[in-house]
Amino acid sequence: MKISTDWLKDFVDLKPPIPNHAEALTEAGLEVESIEKSASGDTVFQVEVTTNRPDWLSHWGVARELSAIHGMALLKPVIADEKKLSRTPPAGWKVIAKDSEACPYYTGILIEGITESKIPDFILRRLESCGLRSINLIVDITNYVLLELGQPLHAFDADKLVGKQILIRRARKSEKLILISGATIELNEQDLVIADSEKALALAGVMGGKESEVSALSKNIFLESAHFIPRPVRDSARRHLLSTDSSYRFERRVDPCLVDMARLRAIQLISEYAKPKTISGVICAGQKPNPIVAKIDLAQDFVTSTLGCDIKVNQISSALTRLGLEVRTVSSKAWKVTVPSFRADLTRPIDLVEEVARLYGFSNIPETLPTLLPGAVSMRPERRIQKKIREAMVGAGFNETVTFSLISKEGFADAELEAMVHLKNPLQAGLEWMRPSMLPSLLSVVHRNLRHGADSIALFEIANVYRRDSKKEVSEEKTIGFVLTGKARVGQWLDPSREAAYFDLKGVMQGVLKLSGLSSESWEPANSPGLSSSVSEKVSVENFLLGYAGQVSQSWLKLWDIQTPVFYGELRISPLSSAMMSKKVFREIPKYPAMERDLSMMVPEQVYCHQVIQDIQDAGGTLVQNIQLFDLFQGGRIPKGCKNFSFRVTYLSRDRTLTADEIDALHSKIAQVLATKYQAQFQSH
Amino acid sequence: MITDHISQIRAEAVLAIQQINSAAQAEAFRVQFLGKKSRLTGLFSFLKNVLPADKAVAGAEINTLKVWLQGSADELQVRFGAAAETASFFDSTLPGIIPPSGSTHLLTQTIEEVVSIFERMGFDIAEGPEVENTFHNFTALNVPEDHPARDPKDTFYTDQGNLLRTQTSTVQIRYMQSHKPPFRMIAPGRVYRPDTVDASHSFMFHQIEGLLVNSKVNFSELKGVLHLFLRELFGDKVKMRFRPHFFPFTEPSVEVDIEWKNKGWLEVLGAGLVDPNVFQAVGYDPQAVKGFAFGMGVERLAMLRHGIPDIRLFYENDLRFLRQFK
Repeated sequence: MKISTDWLKDFVDLKPPIPNHAEALTEAGLEVESIEKSASGDTVFQVEVTTNRPDWLSHWGVARELSAIHGMALLKPVIADEKKLSRTPPAGWKVIAKDSEACPYYTGILIEGITESKIPDFILRRLESCGLRSINLIVDITNYVLLELGQPLHAFDADKLVGKQILIRRARKSEKLILISGATIELNEQDLVIADSEKALALAGVMGGKESEVSALSKNIFLESAHFIPRPVRDSARRHLLSTDSSYRFERRVDPCLVDMARLRAIQLISEYAKPKTISGVICAGQKPNPIVAKIDLAQDFVTSTLGCDIKVNQISSALTRLGLEVRTVSSKAWKVTVPSFRADLTRPIDLVEEVARLYGFSNIPETLPTLLPGAVSMRPERRIQKKIREAMVGAGFNETVTFSLISKEGFADAELEAMVHLKNPLQAGLEWMRPSMLPSLLSVVHRNLRHGADSIALFEIANVYRRDSKKEVSEEKTIGFVLTGKARVGQWLDPSREAAYFDLKGVMQGVLKLSGLSSESWEPANSPGLSSSVSEKVSVENFLLGYAGQVSQSWLKLWDIQTPVFYGELRISPLSSAMMSKKVFREIPKYPAMERDLSMMVPEQVYCHQVIQDIQDAGGTLVQNIQLFDLFQGGRIPKGCKNFSFRVTYLSRDRTLTADEIDALHSKIAQVLATKYQAQFQSH
Repeated sequence: MITDHISQIRAEAVLAIQQINSAAQAEAFRVQFLGKKSRLTGLFSFLKNVLPADKAVAGAEINTLKVWLQGSADELQVRFGAAAETASFFDSTLPGIIPPSGSTHLLTQTIEEVVSIFERMGFDIAEGPEVENTFHNFTALNVPEDHPARDPKDTFYTDQGNLLRTQTSTVQIRYMQSHKPPFRMIAPGRVYRPDTVDASHSFMFHQIEGLLVNSKVNFSELKGVLHLFLRELFGDKVKMRFRPHFFPFTEPSVEVDIEWKNKGWLEVLGAGLVDPNVFQAVGYDPQAVKGFAFGMGVERLAMLRHGIPDIRLFYENDLRFLRQFK
C-alpha cells in the first residue's frame, strides 16, 4: 500500500528528515519497503501491512501509529458537523438488511442536485501519489475517504435505481451483475449483494455495478457507508477473482465505528466541492456499533517476566495510552485497559505486552541465554545414518540432488496409480502426483545433464516417497535413490575409462548396506516400475524388504528422451538406521596367518555366481574366511554357452596355523564338489 | 693371500663410495662390487681352492665383506634414490590423478550448518510427515477456521483430504504432543505452497523451525539465542534487528533482519514467544509453560550466503551447479 507523507501531515506534525519516520514505522512493525517520490514531489512510503493490523490500511491509521511512536498529537480529519445536517431520511426510501450478520450496520444518504464536478488539486495529487486513477469528483471523493480513513464507500446514481428500496441480500442463483470493470459475473446464493427492488446493483464490499455507476453527469446520488464482515466479502472476491481496495480492507476487517465518521467526512467534501442542493438525513439498517471491543487486566509483573526486561510502570501505561487505549490504574502495578473498536486484534494480556514491547523497542530488550538442560540429547540414528551415507556417497563420486516430490503419472500403470497419492488442487499439469519413487525425478535430472554434455552422471537423493496403503491411508518413507549412467570412470592418462554397469550401482548400494552394519542381505530378481524385466532385483534381509535396483526400462528411457543405459536403485532409510543402533563390538584380530588359493573354473552360462559361492562355503566349512570373484570371462577360448569364474578363497583358522598340505587338500575337495555339481572344468593353478 | 684381496677390495670400495654423487653411480657401484662379474664373486669361487682347515675362516671373512658391501650399496641407494626413479625424464607437469569425489546439495549443507549450530546449544533434531492434517498445520497453530491460508489457493490438498504441510511448525506440534517440557528442538524439512515458480518462489521449499519450552522463558532469551545463532552463521560481527511482525502462533512476533553488505537490512528469521493458544491446543497449561519459536527459509539463507540469483537452480540439479559446492 502507498502512503503519502503529504497526506500524513494533515494529522501529525512530521518533522524532517522524512526517511526517519519510515524507519520508525518499520521498527514498530509497519514495514516501509521503499520510499518513492511522486510526480507532484510528494514522498510516498510503500508499506507492507500485516494481516493483524487492518487499522493501518489508511493514512489516518498510519498517522495514529506515528503519533504513538513519537508521543505527538493526532489531529482528526475535518468532518461535517452532524448537528447542522438534516435529520430527515429521504422521503419514501427504505434500507433492508436481509442478512444482518454479514452486514450488521448499513447507512445511506441521498444527495441531490449536484452542481459542480471540478476535482480539487489536492485530491488529484494525493490519489495519484497512492497510485489511483481519477474517475470523477464523486468517485474520487469516495476513494479519497477510503484511503484517508480506511472505510470503503460506494456511490450509486440514484436516478438509475428502480424504486426507493435498498436491499442487502444474498444473490439469487445465476443472477447476473455487470461490474464497473465491464465484466459480467454470474452470482450464486452465497454472494452478498446490494440490490434495488429489481436486481443486484453491487457485489457487497467488493465492487459496484455498471448500470448504477456514478458518472461526471450524475446529479443525484445515493451514498453508501456500511460495515460488512470479512467472510462473505472474501468469499465473493475469491469466487469471482476480484481484488479491490474495498474488498482488501473488508476481508481484513474494517473498524465498524468508521461507518459514521467516513460518511460525515464524505459529506464534508461533497458539500464543499460538488455543491449539491440537498443532502438527506441518514437512512440505516442495523445498530450503531460498540466503540469498545475488550477490557483487559494487565500487571507490570506479567510484562517484565514475559519480556525479560525491567520496564517501568509509567513506561507501560504511557505506551498503551499513546496507542489510543484507555488505561485505568487498578493498583500501583496493575491496570484495566479498554480497547477501542479499531484495535480488535487486542484481546489478551499477552497482546498488550507486544504493544508495550513495540513501543519500548525490541532493540532495548537485553539479551540472555537460557540455561542448559540436564537431559542427554543424542543424535538420532536416522540422522546419523544419513550423515554417514552422504559422506560415503560423496567419497564414491556421487552428487546429491534435491528434486520436487510432485511428479506426473507418466510411465506408471493404472494399477500403480492406485497406490499413489494424488493432489486435489495441483498447481499445474505434470505436478499432480506425489512420487512413490525417486526414479522419475532423477531421470529428469539425468536428461537435463545429458543434454548439457555430461558424460558421467552419478546422483543420489535422500527424501521421502509417498504411498497409499490398502486402507487408502497415506504413508511416507525416507528413502535414498541412486542413479548412474555414462562412464563409471572417466579416463585418465594412467587408467582407461569404463562405461558404468549395473554392478557398479549394485556395489554402491551394497556398500551403503555395509555401512549401516547390515550383512547377509539377499538379492533376488523382482520387477519394479520403470525397470527392465531382465535386469531388476529386490534386496531384503530376512524377508524384510530393503529396496530394489536394476536397469531402467527402454520405455521409460524413451519417455525421458534418454539414449544411454541408466541404472537405478532405492533403499529405505529406516531399516538402515535401526541396524545402526546395534553397537559395534570388538572382535579379536586373527593371530594366525590366512592362506589364499585361487579357483578358476569353466561352467555353463546359466550357473549363478552366488550359488557357486554358497557351494564353496558349504564344501570348505568354517576354515573358508572369504570368497571373492576376481575374474569373469566369456568368449575367446571359452566355448559358447559357457563362462569362466575365477575365485580367490581365503582360508583362516582362529586357533592354529594352517599347513599348506591341509589347505591344498581342502581346496581340491572343494574343486571336486564343484566339478561334480556343475561339470566344471578347472584350469591348473 | 685371500685376506689381502679382501682388504684391497674394501679399500677400493671405500674410495669409490667417496666419489659417488648420483643414483646412476650408486647403481654402478653395486654392479662393480656385488654383480656377477665382480671380484667378490671371484673370491667365492677362489674359496674352492682353499685348504679345508682354513675354509671356515676365509669364508667368514668373505661373507663379512659381502655384508658390508651390500650394506654400503643399500645405503647409497637410499641416499641417491633407486636408479629407476631417476633413469627416465620426470615430467612434473603431468596432472595428478584426483580420486572421485561427489558433493552434497547446497541445501543439505545449509540445513546441516544451521542444525548443527543448534545441536551445539542442546537442541534435539526432529522430523515429521509432509502429508499432514489441518489440525497440525493450522488449528493447533492458532490459525482461525476461516483464515485464507487454509484455502486451496494457498495449500495443497490430497484427494483423501490430507494436506501438504505449508510450514515445518507442524513438527513442533507433534513434538509437544509426544514430549514433556522442558525441551528444545529444531525441525528441518520440505514444505509446500501452491506458488507459481519464478526466480524467488517455488511450490516446494525447505524450512527449519525451532522451539524451546520451559516453565519460565522470556523474550530476552529468544534474542540471546538468535543472536548467537546469527553470529555463528554470519560471523561474530553480524548486526541484527528485531522488527515487530505477525504470526498466528507467536505473540509477540518479530521478524529478524541482518545488515547485509550494501543491501541494508535483510530479513532472515521469523520468531516470537509461543502463543498461549498453541499450548492450549496441545494440552499444555499456558499458565505453567512458556516458550519461544523461530523459523527460517533454507533457500533464502543459501541464496543470500552464496550469491545465488535464482531459486530454480536448487531444483534443476545441473551438475555444473552442484559441483560448485563440493
